[in-house]
Amino acid sequence: MSGNEAMAEGAIEAGVGFCASYPGTPSTEITESLMRSASDRGIYVEWSTNEKVALEAASAASWVGIPALCPMKSLGLNVAADFLLNLNLSGSGRGGLVIVVCDDPEGHSSSNEQDSRFYAKAAMLPMLEPSTGQEAREAILHAFDLSRRHEVPVIVRSTTRLSHSSSLVSVGPLPRATPVASSSFPRGLFNVPRPAMKHRELLDKIRLVAAEFEQSTLNRLNASPDTKTLLISSGICQRYSEEALALVGTENTGSLGLVTTNPIPAGLIEKAIARVDRVLFVEETDPFLEDEIRSLSADLSVPGRPRFYGKRTKTLPAWGEMSVDHVVEALSAVLGVPHEKELQPAQDARARGAKLLIPRPLTFCAGCTHRNVYWALRQEKKRRGGRLVVAGDIGCYSMGVFYDEAMNTMQAMGSGIGTACGLGQLGRFGFESAVVAVAGDSTFFHACLPALVNARHKNANLTFLILDNETTAMTGFQSHPGSATQDKGQRRISIRDLVQAVGPDYMTTSDSIEISPLVELVHTAIAKDGLKVLILKGVCRLEQQRRGVLHEDLRRVSVDPALCRGEKCKICFSQFGCTAIGWLPKEKRATILDEVCVRCASCIGVCPYKAIRRE
Amino acid sequence: MHRSLSIQGHSSGVIHLEKPYNVLIAGVGGQGNLLCGRVLAEAAISEGHRPTIGETFGASRRGGTVFTHVRIGNRDLSPLIPRGTVDMLIGLELMESLRAAVDYCGEHTVAVVSTAIVQTMQCVPGAKKYPPLAGILDVMSSICASVSAVDPMGALGEAKYKRVLNSFMLGAALASGIVPLKADRVRDSLTRLMQPVDLNVAAFDEGLKATAVVQARDSTAH
Repeated sequence: MSGNEAMAEGAIEAGVGFCASYPGTPSTEITESLMRSASDRGIYVEWSTNEKVALEAASAASWVGIPALCPMKSLGLNVAADFLLNLNLSGSGRGGLVIVVCDDPEGHSSSNEQDSRFYAKAAMLPMLEPSTGQEAREAILHAFDLSRRHEVPVIVRSTTRLSHSSSLVSVGPLPRATPVASSSFPRGLFNVPRPAMKHRELLDKIRLVAAEFEQSTLNRLNASPDTKTLLISSGICQRYSEEALALVGTENTGSLGLVTTNPIPAGLIEKAIARVDRVLFVEETDPFLEDEIRSLSADLSVPGRPRFYGKRTKTLPAWGEMSVDHVVEALSAVLGVPHEKELQPAQDARARGAKLLIPRPLTFCAGCTHRNVYWALRQEKKRRGGRLVVAGDIGCYSMGVFYDEAMNTMQAMGSGIGTACGLGQLGRFGFESAVVAVAGDSTFFHACLPALVNARHKNANLTFLILDNETTAMTGFQSHPGSATQDKGQRRISIRDLVQAVGPDYMTTSDSIEISPLVELVHTAIAKDGLKVLILKGVCRLEQQRRGVLHEDLRRVSVDPALCRGEKCKICFSQFGCTAIGWLPKEKRATILDEVCVRCASCIGVCPYKAIRRE
Repeated sequence: MHRSLSIQGHSSGVIHLEKPYNVLIAGVGGQGNLLCGRVLAEAAISEGHRPTIGETFGASRRGGTVFTHVRIGNRDLSPLIPRGTVDMLIGLELMESLRAAVDYCGEHTVAVVSTAIVQTMQCVPGAKKYPPLAGILDVMSSICASVSAVDPMGALGEAKYKRVLNSFMLGAALASGIVPLKADRVRDSLTRLMQPVDLNVAAFDEGLKATAVVQARDSTAH
């Protein structure tokens, strides 16, 4: 099973009763996996509107004795951090609360590669970093046990390579009983009037946890009295270190694999580094352990402190993902032994091969309505002589940044409308561009509401486009409050009604399939002053395919060779760029690739010569 | 979920692997790449090994590059194969096989690749030209120990091959005789995991009989 499935398995074995989460790669499958067992095992599982709400809901369950799990991706913990840094002091109650945060070193599916371990340090919470699927299951069990006994949330930190790789996992017995809420509500779930006292209490709890971590069997020291070089690693990096040692290690090398990484098991570490000459830190993404252990060693009275190597010494790269290859290279450098570079042979052939390769780049699907909206924005930008700024957000439509940079900014969930609030006030300083913010439907519920209210309250001059395809498309079609289909017992919330309540100066709902009216609507809205909101109904073609909606019943779309202006125009092919529009090099004209085309006919409005039509 | 699976108590005749055996499966999204890896891993488990499956994918959704790394060993390993140490490359798509060879293969790699291609978004409209078969195989044979190209379209027919390409290529890879797994075990595992079973088993058996349309071995490189 995958690392994510192993964590879900661990939670089920630990008797989890409540799970709240917001989808985000690479964490999504933990919750999805629990959802599959939910009805059989009486577990309540929800996709919350955002990670802060999820953590708040999960804490409530734990407060009344229900074991609760809150999985999220790295960036999600930023959203939940405000609550987390209060909850640590208030405590998480008797049920036990485990937060799983899945980091994404290299940012394969993220807009950054943040190291979320610093939150464990900031919140002074226990943290575990398992290195295999087996350990992931065990870490979750251990985390629940720890959380219940000390009444603090426990963070289990995974990374993409652990979450998304599969291995053998031995499982244990499942609990028989479903958890029952305690009859009385615990007292003192607030930090005032003396947060400092609560802080002191937390420090006391963490001291007890630290003592347990010293003895934890999850940490592994493989060293002998002869060990001169020690690799200290955590999480999946333990695997990289072990493999590197098998490749270039000597009898004088050893390893310390840490799973309990906050608070660090100082005694164990002191013992491990006492007699060695060199220590190499292997971890992702930042020098977290490296800095902790460097500062720990400053207090040591050991003469002949070892030399430390890691990201601080540039022995390993301080950015990007780790790999066996990186560790082999670093270890060879530390040991001063050459190693056989596996890629050394056939360098010429590799270079020739690299030249032949064509990338398969990130792009909107054929018929994606997001492309249509950006097309309209590109037309409007031309009309305004370039004076249009589009502040963007997180979702499939983030690809607007690759589409002739039709989207100019892209940071966090909800940041499009937030930054637009600022841009929309800059007219007074001579800022001349029209301001547009873009957000998707799930993102709208997740983080756009406070900024939208702010925009209204402060009379920001901006146009907010809500690209509503009625699903969380990017992460695999999870439901949200505005989804077209809702589970039993859930009630759909209308984006239109919500926006209406805020009172924009202008608001319209329209579809985004037909190009010409869309271009005009965008133009009309942007030309007006005040807060304008367009709810643009879109279609996710993948989701449609998933539902079994066939486009074969629609008539084909084709290019009339007599009307196509060929090389002189090429707008549909090289500017609009739907992947279903091809180019016939001999005939020098555009063509519709029927095997790719979803027959939406949006491109009809793109051709100035009316050469594209439905058959 | 394999609640019954455990690492102990497997059948006799366990091959003890000193070094992990690394299989890289290269293709594009939608070709059943991951499932292919799963079939090999489950077969490996049934033979008493402890496989690890990793996955790398380009920054693309539909039709993007997908590599599945199957590492067959006796302990949990790094999910990605160290560069240059692939033992067997199974190429579901021709250009992706080349990409895998450039990034991960080395002088010990035996490559079994499909001649079938999936056009890229830039190739379909004609903006870029898909590299020629001969050019790809030439480069690959300079990197790998040997390269066998098989033709699933020819063997299974155009209508059918896309559905069962992965099973066919598993068969072709097993036919090389160097994957440390028994064909019967792989067939059993395929029977459990692939749908429709009959078509996939037939494609697998067809793959076992497949003969290379091009066999390249570079004698000058090593």
